[in-house]
Amino acid sequence: MSIVDKTPTESADNVDAGRVRRGFFREPERFALIGVWIALIIFFVIMVPQTFPSTANLSNMLGSQAVLLILALGLIIPLRAGDYDLSIASVLTLSAVIVAALNVNQGWPVWQAAIVAVVAGFAIGVLNGFIVTKFDIDPFIVTLGIGTVVVGITYIVCNSATISGVDRILSKVMLSKPFLSIPLDFYYAVALCAVVWYLFDFTAFGQRLLFVGQNRDVARLNGVAVSRLRWIALTCSATIGAVAGVVYVGTTGSADPVSGAGFLLPAFAASFLGSTALRIGRFNPWGTLIAVYFLVTGITGLQLMGAQQYVQQLFYGGALVIAVILSKIVRSRSERKRLVK
Amino acid sequence: MSFAPPTVNGGGAVGAPTGLPLLQVSHLAKAFNGVPALREVDLEIAAGEVHGLLGANGCGKSTLIKILAGFHQADGGRVLVNGEEVPLPLGPRGLRDHGMAFVHQDLGLAPSSTVLEHMALDSYGASPGLRRVSWSSEVARVEELLARFEVRIDPHATIDTLSPVQRAMVAVVRAVGGQELLADDGESTGRILVLDEPTVFLPRDEVELLFALLRRLKAQGDSVLLVSHDLDEVLAVTDRVTVFRDGRLVGSRDTEGSTRGDIVQMILGARDEHVPHEATTVSDDAVPMLSAKSISGQRIRDLSLDLRAGEVVGVTGLAGSGFEELPELLFGARRLRSGTIEVDGRRVSRPSPGEMMALRVVLIPADRKAEGAAQGLTVVENLALPFLTGHSRGWRLRWRELRELAQTICRRLNVVPPNVELTFGNLSGGNQQKALLGKWLETEPVVMLLNEPTQGVDIGARREIFRLIRAAVSDGMAVLCATSDYEQLVEMADRVLVLQNGRLQHELTGADITKDSLAASVYSEGAA
Repeated sequence: MSIVDKTPTESADNVDAGRVRRGFFREPERFALIGVWIALIIFFVIMVPQTFPSTANLSNMLGSQAVLLILALGLIIPLRAGDYDLSIASVLTLSAVIVAALNVNQGWPVWQAAIVAVVAGFAIGVLNGFIVTKFDIDPFIVTLGIGTVVVGITYIVCNSATISGVDRILSKVMLSKPFLSIPLDFYYAVALCAVVWYLFDFTAFGQRLLFVGQNRDVARLNGVAVSRLRWIALTCSATIGAVAGVVYVGTTGSADPVSGAGFLLPAFAASFLGSTALRIGRFNPWGTLIAVYFLVTGITGLQLMGAQQYVQQLFYGGALVIAVILSKIVRSRSERKRLVK
Repeated sequence: MSFAPPTVNGGGAVGAPTGLPLLQVSHLAKAFNGVPALREVDLEIAAGEVHGLLGANGCGKSTLIKILAGFHQADGGRVLVNGEEVPLPLGPRGLRDHGMAFVHQDLGLAPSSTVLEHMALDSYGASPGLRRVSWSSEVARVEELLARFEVRIDPHATIDTLSPVQRAMVAVVRAVGGQELLADDGESTGRILVLDEPTVFLPRDEVELLFALLRRLKAQGDSVLLVSHDLDEVLAVTDRVTVFRDGRLVGSRDTEGSTRGDIVQMILGARDEHVPHEATTVSDDAVPMLSAKSISGQRIRDLSLDLRAGEVVGVTGLAGSGFEELPELLFGARRLRSGTIEVDGRRVSRPSPGEMMALRVVLIPADRKAEGAAQGLTVVENLALPFLTGHSRGWRLRWRELRELAQTICRRLNVVPPNVELTFGNLSGGNQQKALLGKWLETEPVVMLLNEPTQGVDIGARREIFRLIRAAVSDGMAVLCATSDYEQLVEMADRVLVLQNGRLQHELTGADITKDSLAASVYSEGAA
């Protein structure tokens, strides 16, 4: 039997290689979300020219979403490993309440209170990861349960009441506008975005996390410590959730046991919508950032045009569902491409 | 046989007094992506017979079963039930509405549900699901069914409390019961029960219980189509056998008067010429690179082996004999129940993939899609995974180096197309396997564990893969290759271990490794 080096399949592959565009302009779908976002901005500039493009509005939009962005950035770490963290918003609430309770009721310095809050978040993450990996239980259920327990603890800490009057210094650190009239918390969130980006794209940790999320068996058979990475990822999300809580209490000056829960769905919506931008099919920080501001642009614009409060629910809920449909379509299309060959 | 068949109908042909075959398949053809899997095969099953369907891996027997079950659609041919033509293509229910019932290897039973619940599922299967289940009449029906086939199992027992053979019997009785429900209104024609490799997971001494059940079915006029690898079982229970090879019908013959030799000859066909490679002989006193002492896993029992530098050791056996488990067991990817593993003279206390990789032992798994590579990630990402730590400055990965590394691997292994930014799943099977082989060779392993390394790989890539492995072996690597592809063992292996029921049964070396000798030892009767 003669050895044929170039089999028909291989030459078919060669043809296919010619169609693969390299670099920035491959897969133009990657920029679809940015395109829609820009179109949305232009639409509102035309429709509400007095209020929408004003400095006050831009500053408000950018600053008000920093908490959500930080929370979503925490969320995409376990999501990259294929795990949900449903407790992250409860951790945010607990953290905010701890800062307020220690600072206002106990008279602690606000930075000490903030450290305690972040450590509490860290501990909850360690617990989540422990239960998930040691007993091999779906994190969806574990974090749902732990998240509810955390809500209960929050009520105990704040005695079921809103605590206001948190040290002004924290507000200053979060809300002062040193340049471009944009509050500082926006810059913190962008800085965290860069950190997560570095972690995801430029470290071995990020690559291994990606494999854990894409195919656990492949990761395991390549010597990746799957359980440890999932544990670390869940610890990261809870810790970042607590940081988001500190930022939240800084921006509002008070904390209550309910309002944090409203962040959970928007954070998921932003994460999933973000995975349809820039790196399609992957949870990525810059895509998440774009998604957060895309969503707030739509909501703010519609409210300025006279829409009621309910537009938020319609927008966030709709965005989440549309995002998962989109990513499914993109994925099955690329699989079809593969099969056609 | 200690079981006397109940003399209800005196056995024989109840449903087909005319002598027509119960099922007649003729000229059935099927191709996948232009590659023929079935080339105009015929199959006839008479009423009241146990019929064996045999053939080596890839001979087309599972394709035929899947067509009859409605999972694949035939490209051409005819199917007749009781002499009446059933129009092709068959719908998604296959021949289920024509008296055929299927029991697959995994049995399809839920561990925590009871026997009764499984069987009740069938009686409200077709209704919208809101009809009240009459539990008392269900209990009566199930008890009658179990009693009729002399299966002594409590209907209220959950599946996980039953022994493997009891589960298989429940699946069989359930399939028969389901057919009875379907045939309730129409006249009761003969039924055909298809059993796909039902005994692979059963302890040998209990298989006879299942066979007694099959004989009782036969006595009631039902037919059984038994797909099996195990010739002893086939000879023991069937009346006729049909053999496929390479998608073609070899023939059918009565089991009575057939020897195992006759059937092996039909399965393997004309004797193949021996394609030897330059056999390397490694002296027995060379220090083994990997040494396992009386290891046991899920299927493997008390197995010891040494892999020495510069040799390729093949492992083979029937499906379920445990040979497929060995590479992962040695790599620490499956739990080692007992025994010890030494690499290069050092004992590995708790084998895990990470630990074995650190000792430069690597595994190339059989299932590329599920275990070999993340299909949705790029080639460079997949190839870089074992090298991340070595190619980073502090925390930061040096992507440029990793990309160059991946390009080098692709160039050296002739992976086409050589674009490392491509999604891995877009490569053909052969190129995927070459890329993975290149990745692991790049780690300069001392031991390479292969599991079906050329499954779904085209012939050109297959040659290249053999050549690369032999080259690495002559540089001092030790290789273990688990496969059911005898030709591959003939071409590659210096010695071959043949497993039966999880134990080492034969060892062939050098020129003794031929397709015939391998088949003979794989199918041989257990020495124990």
